[in-house]
Amino acid sequence: MSLTARYLEERGIPTVIMGSAKDIVEHCGVPRFVFTDFPLGNSAGKPNDAISQAETLELALKVLERAPGPRTTVQSPQRWSDDAEWKLDFQNVERIPKEEIKRRRAEFDKIKEIGQKVRDDTVAAKKH
Amino acid sequence: MAKSENVLNFLQPHDLPVPYMQRLRDYYLALGYGNPYRWAQYADVPFTEIKQSLSKLRVGLITTAGPLKKNAGDQGPGAAYNAAAKFYEVYSAPSDEDRFLGISHLGYDRKYTTAEDINSFFPLKALRRAAENGRIGEVSPRFYGIPTNRSQLTTIEQDCGDVLTLLQKDKVEAAVIAAN
Repeated sequence: MSLTARYLEERGIPTVIMGSAKDIVEHCGVPRFVFTDFPLGNSAGKPNDAISQAETLELALKVLERAPGPRTTVQSPQRWSDDAEWKLDFQNVERIPKEEIKRRRAEFDKIKEIGQKVRDDTVAAKKH
Repeated sequence: MAKSENVLNFLQPHDLPVPYMQRLRDYYLALGYGNPYRWAQYADVPFTEIKQSLSKLRVGLITTAGPLKKNAGDQGPGAAYNAAAKFYEVYSAPSDEDRFLGISHLGYDRKYTTAEDINSFFPLKALRRAAENGRIGEVSPRFYGIPTNRSQLTTIEQDCGDVLTLLQKDKVEAAVIAAN
């Protein structure tokens, strides 16, 4: 995502990223970024809220046209909720019981295997 | 600080942008995986200025959401992480049609959101409206889907070039990239 923005920009296409993982995007360094401080999966606005979605896109368009230079981040003023508890929950090992960690390890091994197979199949299909 | 002392109405101390890099690093180390993921990191950042009013430009939408894959399990709202739904090639589809796109192959926050509303992660409808209102010139004839490949080399050497080719073919003049 961030790499794509950089690549396109280098080749003359202006971009703006809409996203919620501020540290990851800024770590990479991108031209323009609208940061929406929501749980991952809602970079375009709140679900079932057309106004939130329209305002998020409008902010992205403003940033696209007015950013003074690279690494421009603008944070959306929208709040997910008054309670910020969700920020402490996401993949926080301090909040996951040991047994659950073990279960997730087994699950993730399976996920990796499936992902690898999809990737291998894609590569194989390309060769034929 | 007790609640009653918060006369200046400060936020709670943990109400900051989530430190995802640290979280994910700690998470996968706790799961027993060594060799933590190295996130992309650069000093120089390219920048291309917008040379015309947006109301005259053709804008393209780029997404990490994926099309429905046959025989790949649940990809809809609330689906568990679904690696079978992953895709490893750039794709495109007409932007004047509504279709299912899912994010079950991505690590979104499954506790606090369900991906039930495509418009919360794929702003095509809002972009179309922006075109109708004259805010942008037009929506490019296709939108573009990019894989989230763990290999950054593949992203740069394969996927980025593929999406650039499509954008150039469609004469896209600016791109909105919706992350997930």
